[in-house]
Amino acid sequence: MIALVIVLVVIVLAVLIVAGAYNRLVGLRQRANQAFADIDVQLQQRHDLIPNLVETVKGYASHESSTLEAVTRARAAAASATGVEEKVQAENMLTGALRQLFAVAEAYPQLKANANFMRLQDELADVENKLAAARRFFNNAVAEFNAAIQQFPAVLIAGMFGFRERTFFDVGADRAAVQTAPQVKF
Amino acid sequence: MGAVGLQTYIWNNNLKSLLLLLGFPVLLIGMVYAGELFLMGMGYLPAGYSTGQDMAMAARMLGRDAPLAVIASLAWFVIAYFSYQSIIDLSTGARPVTRQEQPRLYNMLENLAISRGMRTPTLRIIETPSMNAFATGLHEGRYSVTVTTGLMDALDERELQAVLAHEMTHVINRDVRLMVIASIFAGVITLVAQVIYRSIMWTRWTGGGDRRRGRGGGGLLILVALAIAAVGYVLALVIKLAISRRREYLADAGSVELTKDPDAMISALQKISGHSHVDAPSSVRSMFLDDDEGVMGLFATHPPISRRIEALVKYAGGRLPGPAAPVVQPGPAAAPAEPPPEAGPAGPWGRRSAGPWG
Repeated sequence: MIALVIVLVVIVLAVLIVAGAYNRLVGLRQRANQAFADIDVQLQQRHDLIPNLVETVKGYASHESSTLEAVTRARAAAASATGVEEKVQAENMLTGALRQLFAVAEAYPQLKANANFMRLQDELADVENKLAAARRFFNNAVAEFNAAIQQFPAVLIAGMFGFRERTFFDVGADRAAVQTAPQVKF
Repeated sequence: MGAVGLQTYIWNNNLKSLLLLLGFPVLLIGMVYAGELFLMGMGYLPAGYSTGQDMAMAARMLGRDAPLAVIASLAWFVIAYFSYQSIIDLSTGARPVTRQEQPRLYNMLENLAISRGMRTPTLRIIETPSMNAFATGLHEGRYSVTVTTGLMDALDERELQAVLAHEMTHVINRDVRLMVIASIFAGVITLVAQVIYRSIMWTRWTGGGDRRRGRGGGGLLILVALAIAAVGYVLALVIKLAISRRREYLADAGSVELTKDPDAMISALQKISGHSHVDAPSSVRSMFLDDDEGVMGLFATHPPISRRIEALVKYAGGRLPGPAAPVVQPGPAAAPAEPPPEAGPAGPWGRRSAGPWG
């Protein structure tokens, strides 16, 4: 009788612990997803600014078509990218193309003085800042999720229920290039 | 389980608040026990022959007295809750401001409220050079967030948003209600302790009262009752303040959740440090952004700012603005071409090799 009670208690406890760990992981995963959706909102906003920017630059620097095309292509690729890794890569391409565009713009004083261009530049800077914050929050959420699935007792059930380590939204290998981008001066 | 990031940190703090809150009923039963011993010692309740027997008997009587005490405190609870409500509504005598008067601040608060699907709390402003902010209100529609003009002048946009998000988190977490509940609980317990203490003092003063003849057991029982009452008195206060401090850590974490900007919360805290004094009743004080009343540790409503910053760095990925900190505001012209502001020498975002996440 007593043995039966003990067995029952142990089973109930085990179920409770597993359920608790499972719910914890679900909560953390959901939070990471939410954080990624927040990044997406900012990315979308960035994409929306670009056609306007390209048009404005075209008006002053129409023969820089290769740079402009690169930006348009990168934007299209970024807009159609799915999944974290693909998005990171596409966005990094876009960042690089935009950098080129702004470097080119340096050579056109009239373009630099254009009110529309300046406003777009400000808006892009604003989006970049928000994007940076959203990315950082996402990376923290992912770090937390990754740590949680390796904790005991969650580690025992994480694989079973399909909780896999998530990738960070990282600029990765391109980061070094981004940081040491040559300063274009004319 | 240990906290490995912001969300687990929030869960842990919520759990700790709950455990602390559960301490109150335990304390209440302890106080009932002390009351029984006291009444036995005074001869108002039948007592046995030895102190040990008396104490055992008092413990048995708890089965009857504890439910009575719970019912009595519940009745008190209801009355006290409504009186607190009117006190809190009155004590926010600060001037409500409209969107037209403070468009920037109002929009920030409204954005935060919208992002959580809440009604925008009333925005109020106190004209004082000291820097503080607080949230009040026990019910939807009564919530209000108050900031001082000193705070508005000293903080930049991001920091102000972090502060508003901190106060919004108090609103979202229903912290005002929680603190009222904790205050009432602590009030019940301190009242019982004071009744016991005062009647002992009164008995000694008038020299009468001990109806038990010829034995010293009554005095001993009274001493035990007094000791329990004293411990209960202090613990009630300590628990109440500990809950208050947990809620502050939580509000800091919630602010990062809302704004995604731990650095802004850190620099706001650094700026208000030492400039936060505002005169207000203690029921409002615990809802302040920071309570600068000079008491530290167990008897403070707020954790020290350095500890709050430490927690933000450890769990929310915040960075201390040191001399080597990256420049946060890139010039607009260069912005899209520069690395994101968080990409400082500390390494890829959120993956500092020295960080808690390896």
